Amino acid sequence: MNNVEQIVQKVRQAPWRVQHQWIGLFLLALVLMAMVAGIYLNVTVGAALAGRETISLEAKITSNLRTNADSETQLAGLASVEAMQKRAETMGFQPASPEDITYVAVPGYVVQPGVDMSTEHKDQAVVPVILPEYTESWFEYFMNQQASSAPAGAQQP
Amino acid sequence: MKQRPLAWRYLSVAFLLALMGIAILVQIIRIQNSQEVASVIDQGNYVWKDFYPPRGEIYDRNGSLLAGNQTVFEIGLDMTTHPDMPTVMLALQMAGLDMNDINYRISQAPANAQYIVLDDFVSTLKKDQLVVLQNAAHNDMSGKNLDAIYFKAHYGRSYPENDLASNVLGFVTEDNHGYLGIEEKYDNILAGIPVRLAVPADPRRATEYPTIPPGQTIILTIDREIQAAVENILDQALVNTGASSGTILVMDPRTGEILAMSSTPRLNLNDYRSISTVFPGETPFNRAISQSYEPGSVAKILTMAGALDSGVVTPETTIFVPVSIRVGGFDIYNWDGGAWGNQDTTGCLAHSLNVCLAYISDRLMGNASFYSYLQRFGLGHATGIDLAQETSGRLKLPGDSDWGPVDLGTNAFGQGVSVTPIQMVMAASALANDGKMVYPHVLYARIQDGKQVNTKTQIVGTPVSANTAHTLSDMLANGLEIESSTAIIPGYRIAGKTGTAQIPIPGGGYDQSNINASFIGWGPVDDPRFIVYVWLEKPQSNKAASVVAAPIFKKVVEKLIVLMDIPPDAVRMQMVGR
Repeated sequence: MNNVEQIVQKVRQAPWRVQHQWIGLFLLALVLMAMVAGIYLNVTVGAALAGRETISLEAKITSNLRTNADSETQLAGLASVEAMQKRAETMGFQPASPEDITYVAVPGYVVQPGVDMSTEHKDQAVVPVILPEYTESWFEYFMNQQASSAPAGAQQP
Repeated sequence: MKQRPLAWRYLSVAFLLALMGIAILVQIIRIQNSQEVASVIDQGNYVWKDFYPPRGEIYDRNGSLLAGNQTVFEIGLDMTTHPDMPTVMLALQMAGLDMNDINYRISQAPANAQYIVLDDFVSTLKKDQLVVLQNAAHNDMSGKNLDAIYFKAHYGRSYPENDLASNVLGFVTEDNHGYLGIEEKYDNILAGIPVRLAVPADPRRATEYPTIPPGQTIILTIDREIQAAVENILDQALVNTGASSGTILVMDPRTGEILAMSSTPRLNLNDYRSISTVFPGETPFNRAISQSYEPGSVAKILTMAGALDSGVVTPETTIFVPVSIRVGGFDIYNWDGGAWGNQDTTGCLAHSLNVCLAYISDRLMGNASFYSYLQRFGLGHATGIDLAQETSGRLKLPGDSDWGPVDLGTNAFGQGVSVTPIQMVMAASALANDGKMVYPHVLYARIQDGKQVNTKTQIVGTPVSANTAHTLSDMLANGLEIESSTAIIPGYRIAGKTGTAQIPIPGGGYDQSNINASFIGWGPVDDPRFIVYVWLEKPQSNKAASVVAAPIFKKVVEKLIVLMDIPPDAVRMQMVGR
């Protein structure tokens, strides 16, 4: 029994054994650090890419808004009073005088009220700003998954 | 115990590697938290910049764009790349930029500037020309390229109708501030809320900007078609009569909505820098609200309305009209210097008899009653119209140092009292709107959070009763028929009054060679849809408003009938009867 213990003791205390242990521990720490660094780098790169994409999309939105404003102004210029009058004259039209007009009573005709430029009741695309995956907890996630996987109209017996 | 000969070397290498890793980590943390490094990074590389949201657009009452936005460019030079300045300057000159301005900007830039703004509010056309030059020079083997030139796009104001309704709109300068008209009056809601941020001076280091809500869009009561027609008529009138300036106002008497407001001169708002040339000296930007004058006989409608309302006269009251009447020690004469015998009050208005009106104010009404009515009609006070730079005119009252007893007589026919055209129109709205005087306004609605908020009609007073208003309208309509006025429009019953007013000169007395010719009228009499006010300053072709102003009124009304879909009275009565 003592012999066995002595052998084990010798093996444990052998220099190469101790060195291997230290090297193993060092390599393990190195691998752990590399893993953490890798994950950190991955997340950082992902965030940077998302940020760049956001900036790019925002620039695109701004550019589109400016293009819209340009187009609207350009259209207004093409449809300005002066331009329209010139076009009408070119096409052979002339301004109407009171004598040119015949009034006809139209039953049920209602004079249009003034212009309405409200946009709040008009259909607008609704885009979620933050997806639920970024806000919900694991518990909520599994509950939602379970709820969405349940057959439609399922009832308890 | 036997040791491996290279073990200590492995340990040393491992130790050194670990030490290096720790050193790098420490250095990163130190740099991130170092004030010194942060100040070096920030020094000269960031500038405070104001971000202006897109300015709210301005539409007419039918949704036609009167003032919008368009892309313009800031042109800058990246000095860190050591650009070849002669090449850059040549390119800027070829693109047609203002070299004096650019040279000034360069001379004012700090010696160590990394980025210099060469020009701003440059049109897309000029920017594109520069881009073409930049692309052509990009591969220049000698290195004289234009890559250091940068373009920053932003919004600039644009007026697609150029000078249409310019006196109403006003303009926006490069500092994004509105001046005159609507642009100044509603600058706070049109401009939105600017945001100030520290941004990199170098555009290549641009960072994410916050979303800035745009300014509110507004809709005016102005009808673009009516405005254009009125401006055209006014321009022709100035040519035909030789008048030095003119003003035409069209308002809906039921709501106070200004349908058209034209005044000369007009400014191409896309070239607002020429304002000092177009409006030399003290020339008002909008005479309809900013220039007061003695209105003359058009003010007789207010005197007669007061007299009718107070009960001192009726349409049948007969007044003897001699050559002159003495008021406050001064003799007042009729416009022709003649005697007109017995006249009823309709005749007094139809023939515009000064003596008759002075008799009514001085002998029948008296100070208290007469001035009470003029004040009720809003004379002497600004109307509060939502346009910048309105003046209030002047109504002298008994007790004022410059008031004299003769004023009671002369004020009755529009002398010695000054008003603006908008004041006269507001006062007349009471006569065309059942005695209810409406607040004149130009804002039809504004769009707030996607919702249109319309301006409500405001009654600012009831100076006379509905009965008085109807009676006076009838008297004026009859008066036009009695005089066979050139303002009469076949098929439509219109109420109206001419005004031929002398022009006071500094130091006292009146200009003997020039007059102000005006005409105010509304119709159809039984259901007024419009009030039109015409004022020509110093017409040369004729000195009578009935000759120069009344036909212009008629032309305007003929356009209104068509553009506002107003059928002749007979047709309208038939439609109502069905």
